[in-house]
Amino acid sequence: MRVLIVEDERKLAQALASALKGEHYDVVVASTGEDGFFRANAEAFDLVILDVMLPGRSGLEILQTLRQRHIDTPVLILTARDGVDDRVLGLDLGADDYLVKPFALPELLARIRALLRRGRPSEAFRLKAADLEMDLVGRRAVRGERLLDLTAREFELLEYLLRHQGHLVSREMLAREVWKEPRRATPLDNVIDVQMTRLRKKVDVDAADRLIHTVRGVGFVLREGEP
Amino acid sequence: MKGPWSSASIRVQLTGWYAIVLSLMLVAYAAATFFAVRQEFGEQLDDQLHDDFESAEGFLTPTPDGRVAMSGDRHHDPDNDEDRGSDVWSPNGEQIGRSGASAALPPVALATAGAQARYESIAAGGRPWRTLTGTTLVSGRSVVLRVARSEERLREQLSEVLKVLALGLPVVIALAGLGGYVLARRALAPIDHLAVEARRVTAERLHERVSVPNQHDEIGRLAAVINDAFARLESSFDKLRRFTADASHELRTPLAVIRGIGEAGLVETRTPAEYKEAIGSMLEEIDRLTTLVDTLLRLSHGDAGSVHLALEPLDLGQLTREAAASLAVLAEERRQRISIEAAERITVVADGLVLREAMTNVIDNAIKYSPVGATIAVAVCADGERAVVEVADQGPGIAAEHRERIFDRFFRVDTARSRDAGGTGLGLAIAKWAVEINGGSIRVDSAATGGSVFRISLPRGMA
Repeated sequence: MRVLIVEDERKLAQALASALKGEHYDVVVASTGEDGFFRANAEAFDLVILDVMLPGRSGLEILQTLRQRHIDTPVLILTARDGVDDRVLGLDLGADDYLVKPFALPELLARIRALLRRGRPSEAFRLKAADLEMDLVGRRAVRGERLLDLTAREFELLEYLLRHQGHLVSREMLAREVWKEPRRATPLDNVIDVQMTRLRKKVDVDAADRLIHTVRGVGFVLREGEP
Repeated sequence: MKGPWSSASIRVQLTGWYAIVLSLMLVAYAAATFFAVRQEFGEQLDDQLHDDFESAEGFLTPTPDGRVAMSGDRHHDPDNDEDRGSDVWSPNGEQIGRSGASAALPPVALATAGAQARYESIAAGGRPWRTLTGTTLVSGRSVVLRVARSEERLREQLSEVLKVLALGLPVVIALAGLGGYVLARRALAPIDHLAVEARRVTAERLHERVSVPNQHDEIGRLAAVINDAFARLESSFDKLRRFTADASHELRTPLAVIRGIGEAGLVETRTPAEYKEAIGSMLEEIDRLTTLVDTLLRLSHGDAGSVHLALEPLDLGQLTREAAASLAVLAEERRQRISIEAAERITVVADGLVLREAMTNVIDNAIKYSPVGATIAVAVCADGERAVVEVADQGPGIAAEHRERIFDRFFRVDTARSRDAGGTGLGLAIAKWAVEINGGSIRVDSAATGGSVFRISLPRGMA
């Protein structure tokens, strides 16, 4: 999978590139709007990550020109906190998703996975990790031989972790996707932590290896073996 | 449109208006006086003529040649009087007797000489005269008698009066204007004084106040209003100052932590696990910083009034239940119970997301400050045109002097309370903001249970 990053902030571009390489993507970085446009136009990418605020040629201009030339590569735009209009304009111009800076890396990785998966719906009714199994139709979760007694919220939480197994999940993602709250707030963060602790007790108690891990300062991950 | 005096001081304007009004009144008064005097003098003259006529009648005696002699008036010598005169005319228009200054007078117009005595003003010999003409009988014979007096003295007297009035009026008006100016200056002097005092109060000296000489008069009330404005200004300045200080403290703390961890991590080589621990710790602080900045940004957007609300009719009880339910696990952890008593069908028109944020923060606050095992009582009810949500906790309560500031950004009753336990210090500020942009108000009182009760009041809306 080839990903083009058009971002003029050198440190951020490097961090993104190294994170994506860690996820086994093939990464190309363009640090100016001209370079980005040239590459996006000339080479084939599976995804473009486009900063809206670029010197020279703005990200939105690049996006517009690409779409006019019928280059339909999925584009994820990065906007500044106050750029509500940028966001709307970007989506109107044909961006597939957006993230507001500063964003959490797990969030970006999840969005990228979602964009690359687009058009190929996951028809999984059963999710599995090690000896943990979830039956989404029967609303059952089993760890080894043990049937887990989960509340509705815990079930959704576990399902979300399982769908993103092996990948980091931030509190922000959980707030939006599981709790359906558009905005993160301190009380909600506390609620998420409490729910996660309870879920972990139910899933990992008596088990030889733990599946749910907390990654300090980032979020959570469901993964076999080492966190 | 600016008036001609709009640039002049109030003192000058007052004096000007005062002089104009007074002049008009004085002129009217003088005119009235003059006409009254003239009327009075005219009537006096007519009375004298009437007396003259009656006494002349008595002195008329027929002479043998068919004429009439006028004699016997002891009071004055008719032949040497230039200001008075009388003459007698026969019915066929022949002068049959005369005395005094009557030679200058024109003949009597007999046609107009009826039975009724008649006053007339005429000019003769270059002088104004007043005459009284009437018929009378001399030894059974009907004759026309005319008595006349010069109007010159009357005119002189009148012009004297006019002169006095004309000369006196400007003086009186000038004096009045001067008096008005002095009065206006005296009346306005406290305002000038007030202005000087008020100018002394600057941003650096906002604690100073203007003096209130007499709090019951207009100036005193003005001074009180100005002082009130200064007090409010001072309190918002203080608030701003406190906020800036608090905000920089709250923002610096995580920065200092990040820096400390980073520097300590670089000093010596550590194990990968220790590095991970250090980075994670830094990320936690960054997360805190991000939340802080985001929240402050939202609050400042709210200040500037640039928040777009998605208003819709909402069931307040339902909304409150949702907010409480979303925090239920936090209460469970502390073995607390949230009891909700909600009246049916209490509707408000508000932005549901924003309003629920307010509820969540207030209930979260109640959970945080109530002891383990406590009950948090939430009530939703109608109070006339208002919809009210009350959240009563069993916490330590809030001292009266802190109740105003509890909703301030970063205000904490217990300053020693750590950041970890106290959250961002913005929860109640967000709650207040969220309630107020939805047209409501929030306050805190002592609860009967000993804790605090937060009362959110919103205008009731149509379903």
